[in-house]
Amino acid sequence: MTLEPIVGRYMTLRVGDAEYRIYFEEAGEGIPLLCLHTAGADSRQYRHLMTDEAITKHFRVIAFDLPYHGRSNPPDRWWLEKYRLTTKAYLAFTRAVWQALALDRPVVVGCSMGGAIVLKLAVDCQQELRGIIGLESSAFAPGRYNDFLHHPAIHGGELAASYTYGLCAPQSPESSARENWWYYSQAGPGVYAGDVHFYSIDWDGREAIKTIDTSLCKVSLLTGEYDYSCTPDMTRQVAAAIPGARLVIMKGIGHFPMIENYPLFREYLLPELEFIRAF
Amino acid sequence: MFNEAWLTHFQQRLNADPEMAVIGDWFTVSISLSCDEERRVLRFERGRLVQTILTPKLDAPCAFGFRANADIWRRFFSDPPEPLYHDVFAMLMRVPGFVLEGDTLVAMQHARAMHRAMKVMRTVTPS
Repeated sequence: MTLEPIVGRYMTLRVGDAEYRIYFEEAGEGIPLLCLHTAGADSRQYRHLMTDEAITKHFRVIAFDLPYHGRSNPPDRWWLEKYRLTTKAYLAFTRAVWQALALDRPVVVGCSMGGAIVLKLAVDCQQELRGIIGLESSAFAPGRYNDFLHHPAIHGGELAASYTYGLCAPQSPESSARENWWYYSQAGPGVYAGDVHFYSIDWDGREAIKTIDTSLCKVSLLTGEYDYSCTPDMTRQVAAAIPGARLVIMKGIGHFPMIENYPLFREYLLPELEFIRAF
Repeated sequence: MFNEAWLTHFQQRLNADPEMAVIGDWFTVSISLSCDEERRVLRFERGRLVQTILTPKLDAPCAFGFRANADIWRRFFSDPPEPLYHDVFAMLMRVPGFVLEGDTLVAMQHARAMHRAMKVMRTVTPS
């Protein structure tokens, strides 16, 4: 038997007018490293990072499931409101988590839609953060939303899982890409669509990111060369708008570096963590 | 691009695919593959490719299909594939000349099996 060091817990959190029962898990000690999962997925995507001693000896790694995702419940009366994530709600929720856990100047790492909201966090909360690591970060990503993401004649889980499976690099280990497939197949009806609403319709950070001060909040941007959702060029545009931002294009990686090929991803991630740790 | 020998090779490869044997129960549909002026129809039944039609006429209906020029298809079949050409969904989003024709609802209903069939197809390089 192998017992992993990851420990999961629940917390009840009030954000705005609603109360949420939230699942989070953590491992390690040191600088808080808060991890944000991708659209329609959950914190399991960070399981490799949370068992990497090279990271957990320096960082307290925490990953939580957004409401509606994984083991976090939607708020009460969820059945009376269509799930649509917004920039405002996503930011407020993420900030509420680090405040509830009393995390002191955390580093926030997020992928895809998480890679988008970390940019907004660095705009609005740069005094509260040590840094952000944007995985597959774009400041503007229109065109993702379509009505088939939540349609009675289509199996939404299989569609989202098959679609996102193609976002992995062809070189990534098959078992890892399939693990992400499995996670994606498990989202609630309309949750992936609701997340894409944020990422593709509500989110536009092109002007705001120019105000990020990297002397206050470090910015590292890592994007896989095979990511066709957030292409390397899209992240290059983000990096060009933020003086002092570090940019890494990851060879042989797609849209889900932390789960599709962790051994390769960590080679890119560790220097960025070291850079932020030295700050 | 999609000559008779290639179609036979793809048929053998797909019908021997253990994953399609698991997921293909509902994959009963005809699709077209088009390259420039060339068009083929492939008829699937329960995940097996049971008929390939080299010169489809009016009596060879199909629900949906993929159309591109020879250069795009060649890049799809390259090994290792270049980014944006490595997956059918990547091409649908990023390669304007790669077109999903026909009933897109049916295509997305079959997303899993369709995606698998196209992934197996990538392993059969046209001559």
